[in-house]
Amino acid sequence: MAEIRAEMVANVWKIIAAEGDTVEEGDTIVILESMKMEIPVLAEDPGVVAQIKVAEGDVVQEGDLIALLDD
Amino acid sequence: MTVLDNRVVSTASDEEAADPRDPQVRLAALLDEGSLRLITPEDTSGALAAMGRVEGVPVVAFCNDARTQGGAMGSAGCEHIVHAYDVAVRERVPIIGIWHSGGARIPEGVESLHAVGRVFAAMTKASGVVPQLSVVVGPAAGGAAYGPALTDIVVLADQGRIFVTGPDVVHSVTGEKIDMAGLGGPEPHSKRSGVVHVVAKSEPEALVQARRLAVLLGHQGRTRASEVKEIDFSDLLPESPRRAYDVKPLVKGLLDEPGVELHPKWAPNIVTTLGRMAGRTVGVIANNPMRLGGCLDATSAEKAARFVRMCDAFGVPLVVLVDVPGYLPGVGQEHDGVVRRGAKLLHAFAEASVPRVTLITRKAYGGAYIAMNSRSLGATRVFAWPTAEMGVMGTKAAVRLLKRRQLAAVSEEERPALEERLAAEYEEMTGGLARAMELGVVDEILEPANTRGAIVKVLAQATPARGAHGNIPL
Repeated sequence: MAEIRAEMVANVWKIIAAEGDTVEEGDTIVILESMKMEIPVLAEDPGVVAQIKVAEGDVVQEGDLIALLDD
Repeated sequence: MTVLDNRVVSTASDEEAADPRDPQVRLAALLDEGSLRLITPEDTSGALAAMGRVEGVPVVAFCNDARTQGGAMGSAGCEHIVHAYDVAVRERVPIIGIWHSGGARIPEGVESLHAVGRVFAAMTKASGVVPQLSVVVGPAAGGAAYGPALTDIVVLADQGRIFVTGPDVVHSVTGEKIDMAGLGGPEPHSKRSGVVHVVAKSEPEALVQARRLAVLLGHQGRTRASEVKEIDFSDLLPESPRRAYDVKPLVKGLLDEPGVELHPKWAPNIVTTLGRMAGRTVGVIANNPMRLGGCLDATSAEKAARFVRMCDAFGVPLVVLVDVPGYLPGVGQEHDGVVRRGAKLLHAFAEASVPRVTLITRKAYGGAYIAMNSRSLGATRVFAWPTAEMGVMGTKAAVRLLKRRQLAAVSEEERPALEERLAAEYEEMTGGLARAMELGVVDEILEPANTRGAIVKVLAQATPARGAHGNIPL
């Protein structure tokens, strides 16, 4: 199970992928907002979204878990 | 230093010539057909060196002999490598090392350590003088790990493994259980450590990448300004200035053909690519808004700084594509040394002698504006697309800070309108792009459709130069 973590402090702006979705490497899971920029969080490997751990409007800290991917 | 099993794994036999670990087989696969000429004897020293050509470009190459004591490095083998360095420096040609070695030869004791140290010294003396490439095709441990690490570019084949101490030592000392690939294979070195610049799917592909890099650095060519084809990049930027996009199509479009991206998966918020533009080798550095919003951070600044210094040392002009909202804020960054490591990028650009063109495509804010080859650091020419914004911070953020009392005095309903008005006033006062032109920190506004020609023209007219410094692995 691959963990997708926040690389920076940000607001969760939009959830793009749903639990159960199949994603390819480079697909957007959620979009964060920080530094007045929309920052897509991407799948690093192909897989199935097992769990989304954040909700729109949440504030995430660097290193916080955003999603879990089944290989 | 030696951590691998270095029993003699094979002895001379009729099948020896077909052994894929035979250094002569590996060197022949690297060099142009029929060009290989040995410059050291074939012996049991554990290393072999040759002169030859890559796409006709003369190079020196050496290779560990993994058939003898697992390629372990002893006194005689290290002498061969030092000799290869002497020849490369004398001939001023790139040198390519093919690595497959468990490190220093244990039975030789301190003698082998001394010999490995002499190789390191030769590499360091040659740093910035001739391009040095490493191709790691098997385990490269201990001294054999630091050899590649001292060179300009490290290419890792699928079976390549780089570590100081192997899994057994790690396990006995720290209790951590990990295999060779997990410790020092393509995954950790491409994404986490930054030790490796290019990962290849196989040994032949790794040699092909090394050949491409040797030609890019060893035969840089001349800028042919008359042959430039324009590409319209107008559709590249999203309509919203907040939206992320991938900068790589712009990098690719500026180059004649796809270049070689270094460190593609490590610090991906900045892109560093060697390629040709109008026939001449250039180094392209670009913020990538797709990752971390394109912010600079400690790791990306360090990655870019090393690339800038490598290009400068070999006289490779730089093209810098700027779209950066700032340095990444955060406790993690500060404690990770964003100040110390970010300073490396300032130093690298301010020090550089090569022609270096900056293009601000969308935004350039704060300290990151300065760090991305600004006029103040000595950019040869600074272009901006009409959409470019720059400043200490965005206009709205600036008025929220500077006019916070005035904003607090009005009701919440009125606040957005006042903020808009104050931001417009502030914009007019500090001037944005127009003021930047007036100050001379931006030379010219370019239409995206005229970008290639304008950059090539500057590179063609600039006085060639190269920095007089080594390329310390920052």
